[in-house]
Amino acid sequence: MNELTKRYGDALAVDRLSFQVEPRCVTGFLGPNGAGKSTTMRVLLGLSAPTAGTALVNGRRYGDLRFPMREVGALLDAGAAHGGRTAFDHLRCLARTNRIGTARVAAVLEQVGLAGVGRKRIGGFSLGMRQRLGIAAALLGDPGVLMFDEPVNGLDPEGVRWIRELMRSLAAEGRTVLISSHLMSEMQLTADRLVVIGRGRLIADTTVRELAERFQRGVLVRTGRTPELARALEAAGASVVVEADGALAVKGLDPVRIGELAARHAIPVHEVTPRSASLEEAYMALTADSVEYGAAR
Amino acid sequence: MTDTLAAEWLKLRTARSTWYCLGGVALIVGLMALLAWYSAGAWDGLPPARRAAFALTPLPDLACWVANLVMGVLGVLAITSEYSTGMLRATLMVVPRRRTVLAAKAGVVGAVALVTGEAAGFATLAAGRLIIGDRPIQGQETHVGRIVTMGVLVMVFALIGLGVGTLLRSTAGAIVVVAGLWHIVPVLLQLLPEPWHDRIGSLMPGALVDEIAGTGGQHTIYGTGLPPAAAVMVMAAYIAVPLGAAGIALARRDVP
Repeated sequence: MNELTKRYGDALAVDRLSFQVEPRCVTGFLGPNGAGKSTTMRVLLGLSAPTAGTALVNGRRYGDLRFPMREVGALLDAGAAHGGRTAFDHLRCLARTNRIGTARVAAVLEQVGLAGVGRKRIGGFSLGMRQRLGIAAALLGDPGVLMFDEPVNGLDPEGVRWIRELMRSLAAEGRTVLISSHLMSEMQLTADRLVVIGRGRLIADTTVRELAERFQRGVLVRTGRTPELARALEAAGASVVVEADGALAVKGLDPVRIGELAARHAIPVHEVTPRSASLEEAYMALTADSVEYGAAR
Repeated sequence: MTDTLAAEWLKLRTARSTWYCLGGVALIVGLMALLAWYSAGAWDGLPPARRAAFALTPLPDLACWVANLVMGVLGVLAITSEYSTGMLRATLMVVPRRRTVLAAKAGVVGAVALVTGEAAGFATLAAGRLIIGDRPIQGQETHVGRIVTMGVLVMVFALIGLGVGTLLRSTAGAIVVVAGLWHIVPVLLQLLPEPWHDRIGSLMPGALVDEIAGTGGQHTIYGTGLPPAAAVMVMAAYIAVPLGAAGIALARRDVP
């Protein structure tokens, strides 16, 4: 993704967005509703033309791929199927364009747990079943790059867990996996890396761990000898604030160093708790300025 | 291209609407046979003096006339059902070359409509011959070239449907346009004073059959003004213009 821009009339959906998604890990693509996640994916897949900039897969434009299903698999929305066809026929129609045989169609139906309803019409499928069908379509060509737009929408808890494990195993096989979501809590459990956007702009391109550390709020320490420990910690370079209940909020030292310092000064410590903000809070803080459709506060 | 053609052929075969449309044409052929049987009986019941005045619209004409609309709808649905269900996103993700997709659709829809049109025309002819036998009923003379051209016109309507459906992206809107070209506009054109009725009426798709086959019809609501070569050109334009515009629109527009 390089300086990608997409404008709809006056509205700028994606604004000079540049980032790269790496193989062998699950990258979470996060942003509030309307941030431009789906638009970015649509441009990458050649469904929308970019106003400026480029979006490349394996170094090439999507439209130039001879057999795109074998390189990129994507789930944009669960609706992209004709309700009158059976699941098997639907996948067969897609597979045929990229010279993929019916044996593979049967295999992916099995893989997503739809083997039993392959001969049923898609019109009667629940949203969760349609999501699974969309994922089956993405997997058909056994591609190295996979993109899923809000894959957990409409899935029950068992389905959510299945997706999570599927994404992890796809990445473990060396594939590039990009999942968009507006829910940090979901990405926290699934993703290794995070690309956060808001109002079409890149806010953060980082790992889950880095983001958690960036928003760490220090370490909470309790002791019977508060002033002594506070002095010792400050001498070691930490900033210390005494909270109302007598606990010390320490920044700039990790729990190991704090414990060692306390031991060296022979100060008994009652509690040492790292206080990291949840990723949820970190995400809210990052995107607070860019919420497109927020409730009035 | 062959892969896309094969996939579009599979799509057409696995859509229920295709079979409803083909069933509709078969039903019309059946109704024509029924009409032939009824007319033969009526003719037999007439006193010989009145038999000469008994006329029946050419039955293959009626069958193909209905097939025009039905296959036009098939052409519309081949693309608008993809727009309305979102299937088009999946289609264009697996084949990003959009004009190839449209060409493949035109290939399979055109072929199915051509076969259907010819089958409807000649099956009706055969049924009529079998039932009416050698009764010299007016209007039942055979003109093979004319029936072949009517079958081709069925294909033209299907391709117009596909082109207009791609441009309008709406099933209802596209069917209105196809039905308009099929019968509504020709009927309204009758209100025009001559020579304008003949000039414009000669350009209607329905007028082209008699113009190409060189069988000037007296019972026609259309004009009969074009020489065969010009009529062939107009027929080609009915295929090329909507599909050409559709190809440009499909390639340029973002997929909804």
